[in-house]
Amino acid sequence: MTQPLGRAGARLLARFAKSSSVAECSGAAGTAPKVLAAAQAGRQFSALPEPIEDVPPHPATANPAAAIPEELMEMKGIKLSGAPLYLDMQATTPLDPRVIDAMMPLMTEQYGNPHSRTHMYGWESEDLVEGARLQVAALIGADPKEIIFTSGATESNNLALKGVANFYSGKKKHIITTQTDHKCVLDSARYLSQRGFEVTYLPVKPDGLLDLELLEQAIRPDTAIVSVMMVNNEIGTLQPMKEIGAICRKHKVFFHTDAAQGIGKVPVNVNEMNIDLMSISAHKLYGPKGIGAIYIRRRPRVRLEAQMSGGGQERGIRSGTVPAPLAVGFGKACEVARQEMAVDTAHIKKLADRLYNGLNDQLQHIVLNGPQDQKQRYVGNLNLSFAYVEGESLLMGLKDLAVSSGSACTSASLEPSYVLRALGVEEDMAHTSLRFGIGRFTTEAEVDRAIALTVQHVSKLREMSPLWEMVQEGIDIKTIQWSQH
Amino acid sequence: MPGTAEVRSLYRAFLRESVKFPNYNIREYVKRRATTGFRQHATEKDTAVLDSLRQQAQADLEVVKRQAIVYHLYSRKQKSVMDIPLATMLEEQAAAAPYSQSSS
Repeated sequence: MTQPLGRAGARLLARFAKSSSVAECSGAAGTAPKVLAAAQAGRQFSALPEPIEDVPPHPATANPAAAIPEELMEMKGIKLSGAPLYLDMQATTPLDPRVIDAMMPLMTEQYGNPHSRTHMYGWESEDLVEGARLQVAALIGADPKEIIFTSGATESNNLALKGVANFYSGKKKHIITTQTDHKCVLDSARYLSQRGFEVTYLPVKPDGLLDLELLEQAIRPDTAIVSVMMVNNEIGTLQPMKEIGAICRKHKVFFHTDAAQGIGKVPVNVNEMNIDLMSISAHKLYGPKGIGAIYIRRRPRVRLEAQMSGGGQERGIRSGTVPAPLAVGFGKACEVARQEMAVDTAHIKKLADRLYNGLNDQLQHIVLNGPQDQKQRYVGNLNLSFAYVEGESLLMGLKDLAVSSGSACTSASLEPSYVLRALGVEEDMAHTSLRFGIGRFTTEAEVDRAIALTVQHVSKLREMSPLWEMVQEGIDIKTIQWSQH
Repeated sequence: MPGTAEVRSLYRAFLRESVKFPNYNIREYVKRRATTGFRQHATEKDTAVLDSLRQQAQADLEVVKRQAIVYHLYSRKQKSVMDIPLATMLEEQAAAAPYSQSSS
């Protein structure tokens, strides 16, 4: 491992040494291909990437058997033979290399404050941030002026709910959301309910879908905003956005959606769906953590009260310097998502089917939580309950598999997820749920490995379980009268 | 036709660069995406489309080359579990399972 790194490092150093003289002429001298220059148009003065020299192949590909020294990882008292395979794409996604590539110049040469109006550093930074805004807008069919950069979907959700509720608080006193929405929406609603607003938490059907009639009945003349999550983070339910949008428009109520899990994965068009406000997070679509956006419709105009006072950046709605490197990464991630959506979706669907069928072929009593119809769910999220297995033991056993039992926000607690409870999933099944998240960088081999490991551990845990023994003997566990202790 | 040989060498360049990624997932992605991409447009006849595709591919190849270096600079010391054969892994786990003592 040290040798190739050393060689690559030496080459890099040599390159840096001569780069100062090469940098100015590389574009004109023709060493950089024309395409590169075209791709970098707009970055005239600095940070023009050069074609690079060779890096040696990684040892794992050259000689899979013995090339890498055995270095055991030990974290939190668990010994790992290697980096676990990542199947938690709903918690966060790895950065796409194209995104890193777009961000690098802003982390080295182009460090200007995008709000500086008096020098080149500010101007070039502003151009890049505005370019990113255009890329984000293009993905959702919006106007760039309707995109406000924030720190992420949590801030966007807070801004949407509290901002709209406070701005219209003179006439409107009612907010509608669902029981399965994200914690930050529910908590913002709770905050508002303590300050005189009335909140309706709509129940959902057993597959997590919202009952549209129930929604229409819940809307009142003083309803300010309806907030419904586009794709659920735990079970992947895809809500009927178009229908909900139409109902809200009909009753002249603002429609907000938390689309953090949906953007870049399912096609979204804010005009077709009649969305008035939408929260987006970059790190769920292979972008950097720490940035997101809120879409705020301009026609008909949605007005909201800013939650932070400051320098008036982002048209006064979200003060504070826009983190230009993150914004550019976010923009690039959106562009890549737009180009790759068809290829990604086909790949993810294939892998999700492979995983589900593979587990079902070898194990009995697996329940897919959420809608069974693939049209009503985001396919890259498989939330499965393994009956007669204790969820925590299973997670402990599957240490080579980075999966979670639900959302990352609540993964520390042993409580079963409130989302599953809202669906009416029984306590014992809710305790045994695992969420498999599949994404752009997941491979077929990883899915096969995940199946093998899960089958091994579930079978082993079931063998040890007295309940499983009783089920095998044909006893219906639900009819047993347990004695009191 | 503007150079089938050129297209082929471009495709081979992607495969050659992909093995340089120490990260298992990125390595496999570059390989897979190059294959699906080139296959998808294998029957493309329109020269204007082919031209823009080639330009895009060349720009992407530069990204791959640069990122192979970046990933190299910050690679993990340990390999991915995907670089360990499944059989070895299952044996190790059977030996060290947290519940092995109580079951046997």
